[in-house]
Amino acid sequence: MLKKMMSKAIALTVIMSVLLLAACGNNEKSSGSKDGSIELSFWNSWSEDSPENDVMLERVEAFQKEHPEITLKMESIPPDQYKTKLKTQAAGKQLPDLIQTWPGAELRPLVEGGVLMPIDDIAGEWKDTMIPSDILADYAIDGKQYAIPGNKVFTSIIYYDKDMVAKAGFEEFPTTYEDFKVLVEKLAKEDVNPIALGNKAKWPLQSVYMSTIGDRVTGSEFLEQVLAGEKKFTDKEFVDALGIMAELAELNAFNSDANSIDDNQASDYFLQGKSAMFVNGTWALSGLISSAPEGKNIGVAKFPAVEGGKGEPGNVSGVTGWGIALNSELSDEKKEAATTFFKFLYSEETYQNLMGVGTLVPADVEVPEDTSDLFKEVVDLTNEGISPVYDAVLPAELTDIINNGLQAISIGQSTPEQVAKDMQAAVE
Amino acid sequence: MHILQRNKLAIFIGLIPALIIYLTFSIIPIVISIYYSFMEWNGFGPMEFVGLQNFIDIAKDPIFWKAVKNNIYVVLASVFGQIPIALVLALLLNRKVKGAKLFRTIGFMPVVISTVVISLTWNMFYNSEIGFINRFLEGIGLGSLTQNWLGDPKWAMISVCITIIWQFVGLYFIIFLAALQNVPGEVLEAAEIDGASGWKRTIFITIPMIWDSILISVILCISGSLRTFDLIYVMTNGGPAHSTEVMAIYMYEKTFSSMKYGYGSAVSLYIFVFSLLLIWISRLLLQRKSK
Repeated sequence: MLKKMMSKAIALTVIMSVLLLAACGNNEKSSGSKDGSIELSFWNSWSEDSPENDVMLERVEAFQKEHPEITLKMESIPPDQYKTKLKTQAAGKQLPDLIQTWPGAELRPLVEGGVLMPIDDIAGEWKDTMIPSDILADYAIDGKQYAIPGNKVFTSIIYYDKDMVAKAGFEEFPTTYEDFKVLVEKLAKEDVNPIALGNKAKWPLQSVYMSTIGDRVTGSEFLEQVLAGEKKFTDKEFVDALGIMAELAELNAFNSDANSIDDNQASDYFLQGKSAMFVNGTWALSGLISSAPEGKNIGVAKFPAVEGGKGEPGNVSGVTGWGIALNSELSDEKKEAATTFFKFLYSEETYQNLMGVGTLVPADVEVPEDTSDLFKEVVDLTNEGISPVYDAVLPAELTDIINNGLQAISIGQSTPEQVAKDMQAAVE
Repeated sequence: MHILQRNKLAIFIGLIPALIIYLTFSIIPIVISIYYSFMEWNGFGPMEFVGLQNFIDIAKDPIFWKAVKNNIYVVLASVFGQIPIALVLALLLNRKVKGAKLFRTIGFMPVVISTVVISLTWNMFYNSEIGFINRFLEGIGLGSLTQNWLGDPKWAMISVCITIIWQFVGLYFIIFLAALQNVPGEVLEAAEIDGASGWKRTIFITIPMIWDSILISVILCISGSLRTFDLIYVMTNGGPAHSTEVMAIYMYEKTFSSMKYGYGSAVSLYIFVFSLLLIWISRLLLQRKSK
């Protein structure tokens, strides 16, 4: 009896384990089935419930309706986690067919690792017709195009409460750094938190603040020159730029819990009227418009000019995004399906819908009439010039060092000289 | 029993599934990790053999040693915080207390709550501007004691350790409670007859009887603390300025943010060695005492 049971149990375990292993081995290679339908796996970062994500998801849905022969298997992951997931899965060569990527430092290692496919043959459709070629070049590595940008993001816009700033004696937002400091001091004296900052994730001080502040002081060529070995992070100009960050921290420009909250919580501080300013990217715009309380008078401004700085005071740091790259192992059949999808997705309609909800786009399309005034102000504010975003240009390791360095500066644990020295050491 | 002994093959076949899973998900990754640790590798590009360079670089990095120091804080806080508190609670609840079941459930609760939820909740407690702790202190007129709990490098590590203690006390509490209930009543009665009661009975009879459980708990505690990652990652992300960075976070940052997979693998080997070392030391110390 026992023996019989034993053998049954064994048989069962063996079957189970075979099934388990079989399940592991099934690598979802079964696409392009007989009826001509094609399945494309597609990863993106449109998981959060925001108007611009909704636009993209609606467009994907519309595509599905119009092209029933192509099935998109989507996975949406929040941006921070998505970037990590991308790197891990790329290491295991387990990327999907369509991969949303960011340009510059995020794209380069993927291209160098050979996991992406150039799409120069497709890109002609957009080049200089809808998207200017210099903007398209964001998604090009060594002269080859890898994706079509879907949106344009400026990383440092100062959103401010007009009434609170006026109360501190500034009818107009200050245009020089000296005046800006006076504003910060006055606000702090009145027990108003001048700037809401949520830096737990460590990138805001770098991507949002340093990208533009650095540009004001060092000019737009600086980062490339450092990476090429022509200049050094320890040069006075860069140390001065870091010095501005130290100075802002010293003036108590930021809320005391800046390093333990995230940027969503910081935006709440601004909307609740605890803080007079909130510096963030254009990605925050639609959220601010939709959740601002009645009567809140929001203005937008750029970081003011720094005296003696080499940068153009009109520049705002920015970069394009939402480009979708193709897996290098894609079959011709799938590539064709992907092309159809791109033509549908990166169309005038999508771009206009995006503008309608307050997202800037890389394409030359008309601003829809019914957009909010604040959005139009941002469009005007950002059309003077674009400067590089630090984490889009710097290699990942340097980004890590400057992220931690700026956080240390913000709580007085490190000095601009020390951070500059650490960064230069990493370059060498 | 006899049937099983005759069927060695059957036993082996029965073990295969578990063995395969254990090998693929535990042993093989460790071996691969050792291999990677000698390489310079960004995750998908070509690998380059660099010998011991990764290990040397890590040993030279002051941030790594800061992470080690923070990690030791976590270990100490866990071993000297969680275990004594859990033991006292277990001893208290091992007698007939009214509502003992309720207390047991409450004590165990933090163990079953997701770490992310715990971290976010405690983050709100600790928040320097709107947090409960500072508001409470201000409310009772102790405003001078308010701190920037998670934002000040002096306090951040202490705050995080308190949360870690709170989270795991329940686990050891249950282990001790189970052990206490296995202490035979005759032994305790005999002790009673010999005149050992109250404290004496607890210290000379009960605790030696459950010493093995304490030893296991200490080992679990040390190895758990050395791996600690999720709670700190959500609460402070290792910041501000590396002040709460532990080895696992250092490894994660280097591997996935800085894209140095080889370097990260080498860090994980350091963690492995440190864990073995600490567990060996603690066994040595505690085992002798028990004999």
